[in-house]
Amino acid sequence: MPGGHIFRDFDHAIRNLKDEVLLMASLTRQNLERATRALIERDIELSRTVIGDDSEVDDLEMKVDHTGMEILVRHHPVATDLRLVISSMKISTCLERISDHAVNIAKRAKKICKGSDLPEVTLVEPLYALADSLLRDAMTAFTDHNIELAEGLKLRDKELDKMHKSLISSLSQQLEEANGKSESLLHLIFVVRSLERVGDLAVNIGEDAVFLGTAQDIRHSSRKETKDTESD
Amino acid sequence: MSPHCNHAMLGYMFHRSVIMSSEVLDQPSIKTQVEIAASIREVDFCYGSSLILKNINLEIELNKVTAFIGPSGCGKSTLLRCLNRMNDEIPRARVTKGKIFIQGEDIYDPRVDVARLRNEVGMVFQKSNAFPRSIFENVAYGLQIRGERNSKVLAESVEQALRAAALWDEVKDRLHESGVGLSGGQQQRLCIARAIAVKPRIVLMDEPCSALDPIATLKVEELITQLAKVYTFIIVTHSMQQASRVSDKTAFFYLGEVIEYDDTSTMFSNPREKRTEEYISGRFG
Repeated sequence: MPGGHIFRDFDHAIRNLKDEVLLMASLTRQNLERATRALIERDIELSRTVIGDDSEVDDLEMKVDHTGMEILVRHHPVATDLRLVISSMKISTCLERISDHAVNIAKRAKKICKGSDLPEVTLVEPLYALADSLLRDAMTAFTDHNIELAEGLKLRDKELDKMHKSLISSLSQQLEEANGKSESLLHLIFVVRSLERVGDLAVNIGEDAVFLGTAQDIRHSSRKETKDTESD
Repeated sequence: MSPHCNHAMLGYMFHRSVIMSSEVLDQPSIKTQVEIAASIREVDFCYGSSLILKNINLEIELNKVTAFIGPSGCGKSTLLRCLNRMNDEIPRARVTKGKIFIQGEDIYDPRVDVARLRNEVGMVFQKSNAFPRSIFENVAYGLQIRGERNSKVLAESVEQALRAAALWDEVKDRLHESGVGLSGGQQQRLCIARAIAVKPRIVLMDEPCSALDPIATLKVEELITQLAKVYTFIIVTHSMQQASRVSDKTAFFYLGEVIEYDDTSTMFSNPREKRTEEYISGRFG
């Protein structure tokens, strides 16, 4: 929007809202990175840090909702401003869930660290790298109103889904062979699941970014495509 | 309608809702044709040599509330007054191009009875203008000047109009008290009752709530929403919130032109034009 709002408090409130969402995204990515590093480097202290820092993300989620409500109540935003408030509130929910998955990974990492060395932990690195890039690009799509980037996330997430399926299959096979590592392998399976969910949530953020940019709702488009194919 | 106007019934009659042919029924979806109450076609309007309205094209939908929004001086009220020829009272003000059809009739045809037109296209103003007469006489006035003398018909019509305007319960025991003794909100509802007593096609409202408190405003808005099931409303308003609450369609005016005209929900969630977005989101000027 080229010009500022005539009522300066409004622009100030919108800026605050965006800053809160971006801070939340930054903390969430940090938590996810630290949780994964704690797992791979067997760093129990780092796991504890992630678990403790999650409360900051929870607080930010409430702050975003509060700021969003204030803007709606006081300023009656319309058009792009309204879509920004709505999408910010929805994205903060996704980020809070991603941070919860980071906590889950950290907790699993602690349990794995208590057991014997598990070389299989390095197998999650490529999944983490892809999940993190999806999250990073989803947030870029939100801040830059980059519709193409947002719409491309779904296809990339399918790659993450494939990697998840393949790794789960491989780890499950190893579970059957037992030999004292089964509990750790089970924890690792849950870590892989969490990373797959991070990808899904990044796609959701991308959908909200498309809504912000174009007012289009592209959620559940694969279900609509299936329905169209069936009716043909 | 004046017998002189029969031959002027062009293709702008009210459209029928659905064309019931087997071909249409076989289509995957049937789109209901919109019924039009008024059609404004390529209208220019001047005050003296100043061009105030430029190439206005609008189709006002039947039994819907249409809001005109835009900054002060953009021509909204001028266009509103074109629809019942109130601008005729202003020296050197005139439609210089285009046509306005109501019920298929070109209302600027020289043979049109302007008094009859103003019965059929009623108006409620910003400042309520209850006559210094009784409440009963205020509402009955339009019917009386139309020639109605039957006291039973007048009494029934007055009650019906006051009930429709959600004012009956407040005034039924004092119909012979002066209309100007009512509160601002009540007077405005009295003016609405007066307008609808003659069963108009269209009700024009020029910032009807700007002089009212918030509660009276909401009561008038609720009234408009209910009456829109029977009448067509066009409302000029400076309140974006009012336009978004009350109207089905919104037209954004700027410097004498219609910049955008669309469903209200679309206009306020995803306007097509940059100028519209800037105006409605407060980034104008």
